[in-house]
Amino acid sequence: MGRSYFVDEAVGEYLSGLQAAPGSCVTGLLAGQSSPQRDFVVLAVQTPHRESEGQLKAPKGVSPLDDIDVEWVTEHAKQVSRMLPGGLCVLGLFLVTPPELSKDAQNGLKRLIFAVEKYIIKGRLWELSEEDVTDRVTLHICSKTKKLLCKTFDVKDPKSSAKPADWKYQTGISSSWPMLTCSVEVDLQIPVTGSSSDNTDKCMKDGLRRWAKQIEAAYCLINGRQALDDSELISGQKKNPKTTNRQTLPARIFVSDEQSELGERSSALVQVCSGSMRVRGVVHCRAYIHNNKPKARHAAQAIKRDIINTVCSRVEMFLEDLCINEGSQKGLCSGQQALPRRVFAPMPISGLSVCDYMFPDESTADVAERLKEMLDCETPEEDIDTSLENNQLFSIISGFEITDSQDDDSSKHVSEIQAENHKIQKPPKYYAVGSGRYSSFMCGPCSSHCSPCHSHISTVFQLMEKAKMFV
Amino acid sequence: TVCDFIFRLKGILEFACQLDNPNGVQSQSTISKSFQDLRSKVTSKNIVFTVCNSPVLIWPNTGFQSSVESLTEASACGDILQWIESDDGGSKKSSKKKDKKKSGPTVVNMKLLFEVTEPAGNTAPSLIRVSTQQHCVKMPLPLDCALSVTTDERLETVCTGLVEALNKQLADMEEVVLQYRKGSSFLVPQPFHFQLPEPAGLITVVYPAGVPDSQLQAVREDLHRKFELPCDRPYLRRANAFHFPDAAYKDGYLRNPHIHLNPPNIEDAKLYLVQGVYSYHHYMQDHVDDNGWGCAYRSLQTICSWFQQQGYVETAVPTHTQIQQALVDVGDKEPRFVGSRQWIGSIEVQAVLNQLLGVTSKIMFVSQGSELATKGRELANHFQTEGTPVMIGGGVLAHTILGVVWSENTGQIRFLILDPHYTGGEDLQTITDKGWCGWKGPEFWDQNAYYNLCLPQRPKTI
Repeated sequence: MGRSYFVDEAVGEYLSGLQAAPGSCVTGLLAGQSSPQRDFVVLAVQTPHRESEGQLKAPKGVSPLDDIDVEWVTEHAKQVSRMLPGGLCVLGLFLVTPPELSKDAQNGLKRLIFAVEKYIIKGRLWELSEEDVTDRVTLHICSKTKKLLCKTFDVKDPKSSAKPADWKYQTGISSSWPMLTCSVEVDLQIPVTGSSSDNTDKCMKDGLRRWAKQIEAAYCLINGRQALDDSELISGQKKNPKTTNRQTLPARIFVSDEQSELGERSSALVQVCSGSMRVRGVVHCRAYIHNNKPKARHAAQAIKRDIINTVCSRVEMFLEDLCINEGSQKGLCSGQQALPRRVFAPMPISGLSVCDYMFPDESTADVAERLKEMLDCETPEEDIDTSLENNQLFSIISGFEITDSQDDDSSKHVSEIQAENHKIQKPPKYYAVGSGRYSSFMCGPCSSHCSPCHSHISTVFQLMEKAKMFV
Repeated sequence: TVCDFIFRLKGILEFACQLDNPNGVQSQSTISKSFQDLRSKVTSKNIVFTVCNSPVLIWPNTGFQSSVESLTEASACGDILQWIESDDGGSKKSSKKKDKKKSGPTVVNMKLLFEVTEPAGNTAPSLIRVSTQQHCVKMPLPLDCALSVTTDERLETVCTGLVEALNKQLADMEEVVLQYRKGSSFLVPQPFHFQLPEPAGLITVVYPAGVPDSQLQAVREDLHRKFELPCDRPYLRRANAFHFPDAAYKDGYLRNPHIHLNPPNIEDAKLYLVQGVYSYHHYMQDHVDDNGWGCAYRSLQTICSWFQQQGYVETAVPTHTQIQQALVDVGDKEPRFVGSRQWIGSIEVQAVLNQLLGVTSKIMFVSQGSELATKGRELANHFQTEGTPVMIGGGVLAHTILGVVWSENTGQIRFLILDPHYTGGEDLQTITDKGWCGWKGPEFWDQNAYYNLCLPQRPKTI
């Protein structure tokens, strides 16, 4: 008995609209959600064109299938995974080929799907559980006949063979999928042993992994109810696929400091460190769950994985960026830097949202460009929601005004270093309204609860420029 | 006032700090600062108590909020019981007949958690890097607070009390950590609960892990003074820690089966019982087939278990072989005694108690079993002052005497007997129904045989 894929009509339209140059192939990703009984596909994206570094690569293989840039396809899959909120993931691949290549397409797809899965899970901080579906779908489309051939491979088993699967189109698959949300406060103190940049990466990974285990083990309330057992997420709901209301279910997460490795110790764990890293701030998280009688604990798992993924992604992105900028100096510098912040945009067609990460020096235009490239969709800049996580820029500048600095060794070092390097003057007291933790600032001019608030942000920046706070 | 409930809150809080120089003057204040942060954490709005085996969540620092509508700040703490799913099926039902007269207070177990959602602000994360050489110290603090309350106490008061207890425990832990720290070597502070005589009641003491009781004498002396405890018997050794009524004993032996019995109703008589806790040792336990010869060994094991559980010794209850070896070591028996099935008597029991536990015993001799009926005063005195189990051997049998009901006026006497000849499993119902632990009259003894009694004496120590 094969799996059943319920696919949004709009995905079908996208797939039929794909243009392949004569004789060549088109690859792409399929994204959605798997559940034990059935799978849902809500997004299809073709692999973006790769800008080659100058020289045109001569076709090396016997067939266009060999020319498929596996590395690029997997990189695209990884980038898209980072843009999907919890509950959604890359479920498979599609491949459009001319009729003469249809026979060999299956092998190509198998190679690709295993490569993609392997690359996506690299660096992930949580493991698949026994209940997770490990079948991934491969869809072959003949460019001439438009015939679809849908099969699945079990990515847990490298020797697995293709199994037949159903591909069914439906409208509004995800229109009434509930959305879980929460904002999570993160404050991780991670010791760094050794001094090479590899060490930094490894220490960061270890520290994040420990935190990820805490989150996975955490107690979870969804919409005010415990979410641990097999009880249904939304009881008493009439199953009506025509309803367009999407419920928003707030999630609350409660952790304990229990760490099994520190378990039965009789003395403290002491490490000599060359330094430390601290990740501190609030992340906004989202997850979707299908509405085919979802279980509460699957919903809890989806939002928890999103929490873990979002912190992991931005740290990864930051460290990758650092590697490019600082090179071998990485790990030896001190300072406080903003991690990229999460913004949301509507997904093409389905009404779900996707996310992206914005570095402090970027704007919504950059986000829109990335969405176009990675998800093959046009997003008006005003549709990009940047309000869910506040910009850290303001806080960093005012950092040393705050009482934190006398308690916290780390930020004391930071303020000293920043003062030395940039000769930043003390900002006017006007803005430094706060109660110690920089996340509880109020806008000076109007005391609204974001710092500064949208109406006053331009005024504040002008004043800061005047005070020569930017070098 | 009898307390109906014990609310027990457990949780792990990670202690972490960075020391530039562990031996420097600054380190103490850095450590104290970290503890201060932890105390702030437990008084913050983010802490949550979850009641085990129930859907109940309580936010104690937000003017009392709970996840269950019907539990409000005005609720009596007893109301919480209706939400708790009891997970034991059979065991409670089977002992329904032999009603637990002394089952004790109901324990409500809670766990300490921290909410990471609903943050105060919304600022996206930053990465702060520091590059100075430091010693990074991490240690899990095993918090464990217990409050004894009556059923009408308000739930809100209980929760506030638990938050205060957490604060105090962190302060106690800080003291212990600082006192026993050597440079960057930190010992984990561990809390122990003790049930002291009223008015002190249930208290908690924090001891440093790995430091044996023998080295904590001075700490105990201070506490004995503080709580006005007698100076000649242990109350605060780790072995004396309060055993919560809902906790099973991991070793599988029955504790104090006699508490399930009703003492005989004798006019004008008083009850004199063993004090504290012992384990019931009998034939066939521990895969040793000593049926027919091991009764005195088993009685001796029961006595050893008493000294271990009252905190006088840290050594485990000795095996038959260890008992035999001890007798060889003191020169009482030939080496070939070890591994044999030879009986021992009260004198041997006395010798082993001295050799293995450092415990002295008095021997009482009666030339005829009928005389035992006249030993009421001696036995009553023994249970009052020493309160240890008594081994009695005579003729071909050995038993343990756990108490007497004795009338000074009429001389009437009954003996509470624990019989080591039982060969079955640890089934309380059978043991009490069939009299393997039971009250016997003077006719129980062989009227013509002579008997020796071994009365172990408590060492005078804390």
